[in-house]
Amino acid sequence: MRLIAALAGAALVLAMAIDKLHADEMPNLRDPKVIAAGHELFLEKQCAHCHGEDGKGGVNLARRTLDAKGAFTSIAEGREKNGIRMPAWREVLTDKEIWEATAYVLSISQAGQSTN
Amino acid sequence: MGIQETPIVIDGVIYSISSGDRVAALDGKTGQQIWSYEPRLDPLTKKVLFAPYSRGVAVGHGMVFIGTVDGRGIALDQKTGKEKWQVQLTDFANCHGCNFTSPPVVAGDMLTFGSTAGELATQGKIFGVEAATGKKVWEFNTIKEDPKSWPGESGRYGGGGAWMPGTYDAETDTVFYGTGNPGKDFVDTDREGDNLYTDSIVALDAKTGKLKWYRQEIPQDVWDYDSPYEVLLFKKDGKDLIVHMNKSGYAFVLDKGNGNIENIWPISDVKNFVKDIDPKTGKLIGRVELPMNKETLICPSTFGGRSWNSGAYNPKTGLWYNNVLDFCGYLKPVAQKEDPKDYGTGHTGSNDFGRLVMAPDGRKPGQLSANDPFTGARKWSYAMDVPGFASVLTTGGGLVFNGDPMGKLQAFDAETGKVLWSFNTGSGMRSGIVSYAVDGEQYILVPSGWGSYAAILLPPLFPQLEQVPAASTLIAFKVPK
Repeated sequence: MRLIAALAGAALVLAMAIDKLHADEMPNLRDPKVIAAGHELFLEKQCAHCHGEDGKGGVNLARRTLDAKGAFTSIAEGREKNGIRMPAWREVLTDKEIWEATAYVLSISQAGQSTN
Repeated sequence: MGIQETPIVIDGVIYSISSGDRVAALDGKTGQQIWSYEPRLDPLTKKVLFAPYSRGVAVGHGMVFIGTVDGRGIALDQKTGKEKWQVQLTDFANCHGCNFTSPPVVAGDMLTFGSTAGELATQGKIFGVEAATGKKVWEFNTIKEDPKSWPGESGRYGGGGAWMPGTYDAETDTVFYGTGNPGKDFVDTDREGDNLYTDSIVALDAKTGKLKWYRQEIPQDVWDYDSPYEVLLFKKDGKDLIVHMNKSGYAFVLDKGNGNIENIWPISDVKNFVKDIDPKTGKLIGRVELPMNKETLICPSTFGGRSWNSGAYNPKTGLWYNNVLDFCGYLKPVAQKEDPKDYGTGHTGSNDFGRLVMAPDGRKPGQLSANDPFTGARKWSYAMDVPGFASVLTTGGGLVFNGDPMGKLQAFDAETGKVLWSFNTGSGMRSGIVSYAVDGEQYILVPSGWGSYAAILLPPLFPQLEQVPAASTLIAFKVPK
């Protein structure tokens, strides 16, 4: 019984996580218009402060292999690693805007360069 | 965010603060923890620009005092770490996340706190609180209500936060604070006035917060050259003087009683934001303004001619030791939208803090410099491949201790600058080294743990810093008798 309850709980948490991730419409992350909108946000919200305008800043994105889910979650929830903290952008940006920023970030990372 | 504090040691007990405003009391002989305390921080601290670090604690009246990154003052019992009182001082949710990233100052029976502001859409405030109870007694607004100083609505988000610890002078019951830059950092088109009291020393009555005098160092600043760094008090030739480093790298020597200028001198000649500052009047000569949407090379960079890490003065050598920064940056102001619910974006009028570059003459980007604090005459300097961001220590035994961002800790002869000793601490230093004695033996305590905005912003110019591991460590050395 306990095992069933635990599994049910885990399934519920996973479902909620997926719901949260796809809370708003997920656009085509390769659409140039979506990437351009993401670039605008990247500059406006001073992501370049840490990541550089081209992603080659102090926290280098250009060298990283990123995935959509990981990038979205980092932007939405923030993160702390290696003594460096990134603020959380959920409720400041809509999910649509976070997806746009995700699209731009993917386009300047290794993922974006390998499809060019 | 690494470790950014200068610890305090009293009667063999170390009082230390690290990321998340976690406080610990440690045995100075063994490093064993005596007690620890961690406040439950407002979840909004995950979103704000300045968090979650602190530069230290204050100790007095049997209590340990901290300023938190959610805008509270908290008092802990010095022996047990139990909370005695707490008070919400900043309107944290409504001031763009303005908070405390430095400790308060014990000013007699008062406690004074200076909040962050410059890069936040808010006004800077200094608060006076009863040390025994936490009752707020006064509040000083660093933004002067004066339409000539702040045309139109420009003062509303004027900035001017006194974000580093001030200095208390018991002789005159005055607390001296240096205030921060005006907002937006790099755009002054709507604030064409001197923007008082930003980039100033303000002398406040510790009991009432009344302004006794001020000396503005950088009027109508567009380069982010704050004044919040440490205020040194001297008695020299029958005069009571202040020596104070502005972020631009210019040091101001002032009369302690009225702020009159005695001298102004630059710690480095890597500067182009002005031709000079008149050493008698303080007038900025030959300002370089920043055109919108265009990069302009400005020296020193937004890290300044020296960063917030303090220098150290040795009364035996008469020398002031500072980590000088000799590199520059390209600044590009842009139009910026306002969004009151966006706590993470700085109110700077830019997309970033500038593209860092080496000095035009290609010199090494840093030096530990030993200067006469009143004239600026340099006695010696030690060139550094990676500039220093630690607070320096100098001892009565004739030593200077300094750490660099790569983790190298060095001891120098205070008179000559000769390197006497070196040690690899394992992570970079962004904190204050201190000395204390227990049972007649001298210890040197070194916080080692790279972090802060320096860790994020420096690697494009200093790629070797990408390899520096994060840490948050205190290392104690014993000086042989």
